[in-house]
Amino acid sequence: MASQSRRTPLERVEYVLIVSTLLLLVVFTLQPLLNLLALSLSDASKVAGFSGLSIFPDGFSPDVWLLLLQHPNVQRGIFNSVWMTATSVCIGVFGTALMAWGMSRPGLPGRRLIFILVLVTIVFEPGIIPDYFLMKRMGLLNTPWSVIMYKAISAWYLIILIRFFEEIPKELLEAAELDGANPFQTFFMVVLPLARPALATIALFYLVLHWNEFFRAMIYLNDQSKWPLQVVLRQFVIEGDKIAIVGANNVNNNLGLAQINIRALKAGMILITILPILAIYPLILKFFTKGTMSGALKG
Amino acid sequence: MVAKDKQRIAIALKHGNVPAHGSGSGMGSEPTSTESELASTLLASRTGMREKVRQWWPYYAMMAPGLLFFFIWHYVPIWEAKMAFENVRIIPPNIWVGWKNFEVLFSSPIFYQVLANTLIISGMKILFVFPVPIIVALLLNEVRSGKLRGAVQSAIYLPHFLSWVVIAGVFIALLSPTDGAVNQVQTAMGFEPVNYMTNTGTIRWVLVVSEIWRSAGWDSLLYLAAIFAIAPELYEAAEMDGANRWQKIRHVTIPGIVPTIATLFILNMGMFLSADLNQIINMQNAVNASTIDIIDTYVYRMGLSTGEYALATAAGLFKAVIGMALVLVSHFVSKRLTGKGVW
Repeated sequence: MASQSRRTPLERVEYVLIVSTLLLLVVFTLQPLLNLLALSLSDASKVAGFSGLSIFPDGFSPDVWLLLLQHPNVQRGIFNSVWMTATSVCIGVFGTALMAWGMSRPGLPGRRLIFILVLVTIVFEPGIIPDYFLMKRMGLLNTPWSVIMYKAISAWYLIILIRFFEEIPKELLEAAELDGANPFQTFFMVVLPLARPALATIALFYLVLHWNEFFRAMIYLNDQSKWPLQVVLRQFVIEGDKIAIVGANNVNNNLGLAQINIRALKAGMILITILPILAIYPLILKFFTKGTMSGALKG
Repeated sequence: MVAKDKQRIAIALKHGNVPAHGSGSGMGSEPTSTESELASTLLASRTGMREKVRQWWPYYAMMAPGLLFFFIWHYVPIWEAKMAFENVRIIPPNIWVGWKNFEVLFSSPIFYQVLANTLIISGMKILFVFPVPIIVALLLNEVRSGKLRGAVQSAIYLPHFLSWVVIAGVFIALLSPTDGAVNQVQTAMGFEPVNYMTNTGTIRWVLVVSEIWRSAGWDSLLYLAAIFAIAPELYEAAEMDGANRWQKIRHVTIPGIVPTIATLFILNMGMFLSADLNQIINMQNAVNASTIDIIDTYVYRMGLSTGEYALATAAGLFKAVIGMALVLVSHFVSKRLTGKGVW
């Protein structure tokens, strides 16, 4: 407070400018999302001319959300997204941790070579067509496994975990060895419990990555019934395929969903897709921020 | 001496440490001193090897799924990429045609259009997107109240965790010529509404702005972390010298984050030929397609829609090789200049 009083008027003006610039950035970030939320919750009769600037619902009606959540395509999309993401995250966290543990041991024969081989995959990516043919050759096309396995272990997250494991105090591992633990026991009973925060961070990384994945699902999965939510959303909002959600019969006869404003439907669909991310966002803030901060501090 | 070595070899043989044919040569004749020395070093390295295997196999067993994964999903596709040099036939085998696909590619005007678009979009992003998170971090660092800073951070990090499908959906709504916020402000100020998504003059700017919307907040975290790592003594010293806010930023903060800036700049340069497929594939429509058609969308369209697999793979490989060169060059340049690289 004492130092505050010593600030010159110019400095105070500067400070106000700095804070307002940041607040403007906050508005720029959140307004478009809040506008869609307000739109999707507005009363059906008020939606038609709903302003793009407003962030408060005009009237209130949960109809858009309820109708969408009851829609078979949306439900199937949610189901596919949830189980595919969950499977990918499990494979990813476990596979990454196991590999990172080996690679973090200083004396591991061939450690340098493996490191280089992993770095090569970051630097050199031969492209989507060879990937596609590999999937085809393995008979994984049009199966969810093509999407689940693709990038199940990320080189970046692997490196992050290796850095973390390298810093586990040697004494702890030696103590475990003295107690007669073999490397497997050491890993599962000493290393993994110690690494819980790091593993949680990696799990969140993978969760966001896989929940948001749409491209591979789009090119590998022909059957609409296998599509994750992102691809369902894309078909409806980006490709503008109204019939996919509203239904041909409804469109032709102006029944059911066809009577709901299409803008509100699209807004609701976007928000349903974001919802899981919003639900875990507090965790993301806690772990990602810490992870990135500590990583940068050490790196 | 010699006898002792013999003894050791004999013991080793009993335990199977030395391959039978290796020692068999020395069995008939009296081994010379050098021969036996050789044998004993061989012996030592063999037991070392065995010791190594005994010590490390559990780690390799644990790494096996990961190693197998990297081999299948990252190295087999490199082998598959040989398609770029082949005439891909519906009924195998493919026929090796050497550089022919590349010749076709490099003589097609569309390829140069696509390459130009990629370079323009990446260039615009480096110029207009890259500096934004640095500025945001500098601003955030000036905020004295931790609560206010935390609140701002929580808000501006969010878009980083949304998919490009969602972001494109948001921007299509935001930029709608009839009820989008931007056009409403514009018409209120007396300007004509613009359909930004279908206007070939504005769509690249939509890419820039949506990229800022998505990443400026989150990327600022990396710079903020670097700023927080600067020794407080430096600021104290600067204050003692009577430095004001801008002098402190210029002489303490910015020099402190230059290595981070360099590292991230390199990462961006390495991605120069990418220009973000996921973003563009969701922002593309029939009207703007040619303006923001990049190498990746070209590969996607040629390969998976038109069925020109070889040509598409060739284009993808071209991108991969140049991209790799870019990353490697900038990595070593940065290592030289700032001591920090990509890895």
